[in-house]
Amino acid sequence: MIHDKSHYFNLFSVERPLLEKLVATSLASGGDWCDLFFENTTYGQFSLRDGAVTSGGLHADYGVGIRVLSGEKTGYAYSETTRPEDMMAAARAAAAITRNTVRVGATVTERDVATRRLYSGEPNPAADRYPVRIHWRSCDPSVMVSFLERLETAIRARDTRIVKVMASLAWQVTDVLMFNSLGELKYDTRPLASVSATVIFARGGRRERQTVSKSWRMGVEMLSDSLIAEMAEEAVRGIDALFEAGRPKGGKMPVVMAAGASGILLHEAMGHAFEADFNRKGQSVFSDRMGRQICGKGISILDDATIPACRGSLNYDDEGVPGQKTYMVEDGVLTSYLHDRISARSYGVAPTGNGRRESFRYAPIPRMRATYMDGGAYAPEEILASVREGIYVEQFANGQVKIGEGDFTFFVKSGFLIENGRLTRPVKDINIIGNGPEALADITMVGNDPKVDDGAWTCGKEQSAPVSCGIPTVLVRSLTVGGE
Amino acid sequence: MALAEKALVMAREAGASACRVTLSKSVLDLAGTLDGALDKVTHCLDRSLSIVLFVDGRYGSFSTNKLDEQDLRPFIGKAVQTVRLLTEDPHRSLPAPDRIARDSVRGDETKCWDPEGYAAVSADWLVETALADAVTGHFEDPGFTLVSEEGELSVTVSESLLLDSNGARCRCKDTLFEYGVEVTLQDNATGEKISGYWWDSSPWLARLDHACCGAIAVKRALAAAGASPAPTGRYTMAVSTECMGKLVTPLTSALGGFALQQRNSFLEESLGKKLFSEKLTLLDEPRVPGVNGARLYDSEGVATVNGPIIGSGTVRTYFINTYIASKMGVAPTVEDAMRPVLVPTRPGVTLEDWASEAPEGAIIVDGFNGGNHNGATGDFSYGIEGRIRRGGKWLPVKEMLITGNFLQLWASVADVLDDARPCSPKSLPSVVFENVDFSG
Repeated sequence: MIHDKSHYFNLFSVERPLLEKLVATSLASGGDWCDLFFENTTYGQFSLRDGAVTSGGLHADYGVGIRVLSGEKTGYAYSETTRPEDMMAAARAAAAITRNTVRVGATVTERDVATRRLYSGEPNPAADRYPVRIHWRSCDPSVMVSFLERLETAIRARDTRIVKVMASLAWQVTDVLMFNSLGELKYDTRPLASVSATVIFARGGRRERQTVSKSWRMGVEMLSDSLIAEMAEEAVRGIDALFEAGRPKGGKMPVVMAAGASGILLHEAMGHAFEADFNRKGQSVFSDRMGRQICGKGISILDDATIPACRGSLNYDDEGVPGQKTYMVEDGVLTSYLHDRISARSYGVAPTGNGRRESFRYAPIPRMRATYMDGGAYAPEEILASVREGIYVEQFANGQVKIGEGDFTFFVKSGFLIENGRLTRPVKDINIIGNGPEALADITMVGNDPKVDDGAWTCGKEQSAPVSCGIPTVLVRSLTVGGE
Repeated sequence: MALAEKALVMAREAGASACRVTLSKSVLDLAGTLDGALDKVTHCLDRSLSIVLFVDGRYGSFSTNKLDEQDLRPFIGKAVQTVRLLTEDPHRSLPAPDRIARDSVRGDETKCWDPEGYAAVSADWLVETALADAVTGHFEDPGFTLVSEEGELSVTVSESLLLDSNGARCRCKDTLFEYGVEVTLQDNATGEKISGYWWDSSPWLARLDHACCGAIAVKRALAAAGASPAPTGRYTMAVSTECMGKLVTPLTSALGGFALQQRNSFLEESLGKKLFSEKLTLLDEPRVPGVNGARLYDSEGVATVNGPIIGSGTVRTYFINTYIASKMGVAPTVEDAMRPVLVPTRPGVTLEDWASEAPEGAIIVDGFNGGNHNGATGDFSYGIEGRIRRGGKWLPVKEMLITGNFLQLWASVADVLDDARPCSPKSLPSVVFENVDFSG
């Protein structure tokens, strides 16, 4: 985090009077809110294939997005330069939303009076969730190349059945400067780096694949020997079971979700339906359930931007609202949606810091950050022991949800059958499907082992955004499991 | 062109022995509606320069949208220095000049360029048309309430230049007109919410069929009302044309050089082998002028060709770019399937025609809901929704999964129908498969 705002003014070649002039131009024909989002992103990546780092690259992205609101209607335009004439043209394009339209809905200035105190203060930022010791932009690339080579060596040393290792390291640093028609100025520099390895194993005529990824908002200091050891261990863990794994008999059955990455259940089945834009439009399956008991007592679900170095954490969201911790479900009761400024003013509540965007090319929308469930009362062994016949799911690939219906799926890379309370035959490559509200209500046991996964999770709701997810071990009484 | 040429010169001056520059720009204008009223207008102007560098036997790829010379020159200089830190790779090179497309000079040779249509579209037209197309206010069904309707009408014009230091000069420019609408309905009796989506797109404004999209989205939502899972079992499955990309893309990906060379493909050593149903013929036809997906060259500038990917069940080609070809010691091709085309076995027969004759217990998949596949083994598992034939009627189903292996699935093709939508960049009609495992 750079605390000197002149750094950002120089980077984007702007001064406060120019920012004010842009806002004034944007609102000249009648809008009631304007915000400017300046971004300078540097993205680098290196790839290891066939034992050598033979591919790498560097990418730069720079520009400013200008949003004008007229009631709840949005005008959006951007410029890839910060030349005043280009930004003014973008401002006028965004202001087109105010032409020939009847304003509906509340306005920021009408309803946000009570919430301004949440994000009007200094210092900037209020808290730094991703302090950096060694900066990516100034790092000698040989450090990254060497890391990937050592990672490959460490992975190969762990199993003689390995035939290929593909490893990659991607880092990005994003400088943002935000200014809005309330006169608020915010700036931030966000690091984000991911290391991943895909390993191909061969045994007899069969091949299997394992992928492991780690991602944090950290500096180059994350490239440690301990990370190499951890990833190498995870890359080979469970490979014997994978060679033995088959498909279970499909159908409805109890599903025990392992702690950590099973948080994709929360993300897909519930998290998206808590995003306020879907609720504001009446599309979400949870849109009429605020204040109601939607799952068992003892279950609390939150979305959190405050975990240090977490991939989903933010000092500010992309509307300049401070990152914060938001409980959506407390003791089984739906208590909050995830809001950007538009939905917050529509509901007459404070924004929750969930206004996020992929880049300056996109207007912000409500998005999750790190979504997880608080720990419960049961030991994981107790939960397993309670299941006579079901599935234990351990590793995941991806998932998605239909917001209106609440139907969600997620893909299980590996797991085990549960028979009489014990893990027996390994299973793999199966999809699991269910309905969000029903699955949430069907969580009957929550483990005392809460864990936020540190994999490189990316959410694809209209725009791409880095997120995290987590959950303790939980038992869902009944889900549909794909099988033969 | 001058900027791209200048970037080539800068790269050579910085020490690159060879390089390729791709300069892209596009302009998108969009009008979005919510519940029959204007919700958003967007104006996007994008440009970027990508540069691939070959330096001292090493390789790197770079991109930037800061295109002023005072920004570009140091960027390229730093890029060259970065490449020098990588490991040498003797397999990296530009494609041979005789493989480069020579028929993409003006950019409009694919005939996906409609300047008159583009000129006819104004910001006001976008707004007025999007509003006129909305079904809100016209929806009438006593059993359902229209909860929300979101529509987006957009026009994009884009142009791309590709130059390399071996003399490649390729240009492509196209227009794209698109409209999509999503509706959410609520069953007044049960409270159940259901959604439906429909879209159309075309490089030609006159061919954009936007007015029907809202009504079709509503029809698709209503067809899904009251859906429930069918019992677990094996069924005849017809997958609608809108969903077929999900089943074809894993095939073309597995035939890609990168997956093959990394031994991450279930179609390794498949060339020339008959692995699939006799009824499966998959072509690559990027050189069809005027259709979505038409392409004359790939990202290396290599000229595309029309030809078979799988012919009567036999694998006819891999897709291997210059780099992977050198590593594998084989001849290179275009890098990927550009415009896959499934050849119908029942010309003139649509999915709805087939539905009228389908056997009892058959399931039509109208949409996929998540899932994935294992590229190394071909195992897949996907969520589906659609309809099942019971007592001569089609009843909606959801919360079901199909699970299997692509080798077996594509060996079980019963029919390839003839209803591919021209708006799709892939021409993939509905396909009927036998004995598919469903879980419900």
